[in-house]
Amino acid sequence: MSLQSSRLPHPMVTRIAVIIGLLILWEIFGRMGTSLFFSPFSKVVMSGHEIFYEPEVRRALLTTSGVLALAFILSLALGLVLGLSIAMSKFTYQTFMPVLLLLYAIPQITILPLFVLYFGNGPASKIAFGVSHGMFPVAVSVIAGVQGIKPILLTSAASMGATRAQIFRRITLPYLVPSLFTGMRLASTAALLGVLLAELYASAGGVGHFTRRFSETFQPDKLYALIGALAIMAIVINESMRRLEKRFSKWR
Amino acid sequence: MAESLVRVESVSHTFPAPEGGKEVLALDAIDMEIRQGEMVAFIGPSGCGKSTLLNVIGGMIAPTSGAALVSGQAVRGPLPKQIAYIFQESALLPWATVLDNIKVGLEFQGVPKDERGPIASAALKSVGLEAFAASYPHQLSGGMKQRVALARALSLRTDILLMDEPFAALDEQTRMIFGEDLSRLLASERKTIILVTHSLAEAVLLADRIFVFTSRPGRIKAVLTIDEPHPRTPDFMTSQRFSELRNELYELLRDEVLAAIGNDRQGLS
Repeated sequence: MSLQSSRLPHPMVTRIAVIIGLLILWEIFGRMGTSLFFSPFSKVVMSGHEIFYEPEVRRALLTTSGVLALAFILSLALGLVLGLSIAMSKFTYQTFMPVLLLLYAIPQITILPLFVLYFGNGPASKIAFGVSHGMFPVAVSVIAGVQGIKPILLTSAASMGATRAQIFRRITLPYLVPSLFTGMRLASTAALLGVLLAELYASAGGVGHFTRRFSETFQPDKLYALIGALAIMAIVINESMRRLEKRFSKWR
Repeated sequence: MAESLVRVESVSHTFPAPEGGKEVLALDAIDMEIRQGEMVAFIGPSGCGKSTLLNVIGGMIAPTSGAALVSGQAVRGPLPKQIAYIFQESALLPWATVLDNIKVGLEFQGVPKDERGPIASAALKSVGLEAFAASYPHQLSGGMKQRVALARALSLRTDILLMDEPFAALDEQTRMIFGEDLSRLLASERKTIILVTHSLAEAVLLADRIFVFTSRPGRIKAVLTIDEPHPRTPDFMTSQRFSELRNELYELLRDEVLAAIGNDRQGLS
C-alpha cells in the first residue's frame, strides 16, 4: 500500500499510455523506411482489415482455430495421463522424469521435418506438432502439482480407511486443479506455437501459411494485420484460462 | 476395572539408517495395557519414540518386532472403524468446506451417503462450530481448525482416539481453552484416548495415566496416575495438587530431556 501512493496514477492508466507510446513509435518508424518491409500502424489498420474479407484468409483462420482446438485437447489429455503416470510413485518419477525433461529440452523445430515425414503436410502433422509442444507443460505442471500434496492429507485419509481410488478422487484430483490450469495456460500458448510453426514451414493452409505468403510477396500491412489477429487469439485464450484458473483456485 | 482395550506386547522399532549413519532404535521392548475408557498421555523428550508407538497402535507403522493389539486382535494396518486420529497440523482438505471435510472422512470410513450429512452436522455442533459449516479451513483460526479435526474424529464414532500433539501449533491461551473443551467433551463421550504431548500441563489436565518415556531408545520410565474425575475444570488447573503433579512429572522428565540433548550433541560430533 505504501508503494502505491495516491500521487501515482492508476497502473491501468500508465499501462495504456505505454501501449499508445509504442504505437506512436511504430507509426513514426513505419513512415521512415520503405513500405516493402515495414508498414505504419495506420496503414495496417486501414488496409489490413481487408484481408479478413478474403474467403481464403477466413478459411485459413478457421482451419488454424480448428487444428489448434484439437491439438489443445489432445495435449491436455496426453499431458494429464503422462503426468499422472510419472507422478504415480517415487520409482516411476525417478525413472521417467529425467527422460521427460530431456525430451522437453529439445528444440522441437529441428524435428519438424520428421513430423511432416510421418504425418504428411496436411492437418495431421500440424496437430501432432501442436501436441508435441503442448503436452509437456501439462505433464510437468501435473507432476509438480502431485508432488505438492501435503503428506499429512494422505496419512490422515489412510487412517480413515480411504482406498487408493478414493484418495485419487478426493485428494489428488482436487489438489491438481490449480496446477492443471497453469499447465493449460502454458499448453494453449505452446500448442499455438507448434501449429503455427508447422503451418509456416510445412503446410499449404492455415494462418501460418498466409504469414509466409504475405512476407514473401512484400505486403507488410497484411502481414501485421494477420499477426495482430493471432495475438488477439492468443490473448483471449490466455485470459479466459486465467479467469477459469482463478475461479477454481479460490481456496488457495 | 474394565478389560484392556489396547495392548502393546514387547514392541521394538528400528528406523533404517539415514545416509552414512547408524540405524536408530526408537522403541525398545515396550509393554503396556490401556483400559476401555481410559485417557492416557505419552510424554517424553523429542525423539523418544512416543509418536512412533502411537503410530504402531494406530496401524500406520509396522513395528520391527512385537505387536500392538486392539480388542485382542493384532494390528496390521489402519483400523478406521475402531481408531480415529487427530494430527499435529491441520489435516483438513483446504478446498472443501468444514462440513464437507467431515463428510469426506465418513465417506472414507464407508458410511452410506445419506447418513453422512446428519452425522457430520451433529459432530460439528458438539464442538460449537455449526455456524462455520460452509466456511473453508483458511478462514478459520488454528484453534478452530483443530476443533474441526476433533469433530471429524468424533464423527467417525470410534472407540479409540489417537492424538499426536494436537495442540502443538496453537498459542498458549488457545491450547488451554481447547484443553478444557476436550476434557469436558471427552468425559461425555467415554472414549479411550491416547494423547502424545510435550506439555506437562496438558498431560496432567487431561490424562488418567501418564507414561513417561526415556530418551532414545524409548522405554517407559514411569507411569504417573492422576486420580481426578473428568471433566477437569480451571479450578483443578489452579489447585495445589495440579502444581505438585506437574512438578513430579517435571522431575521424572528432566534427566531424560538432558540425556536427549546429550544424545544429539554426540550425534553432531
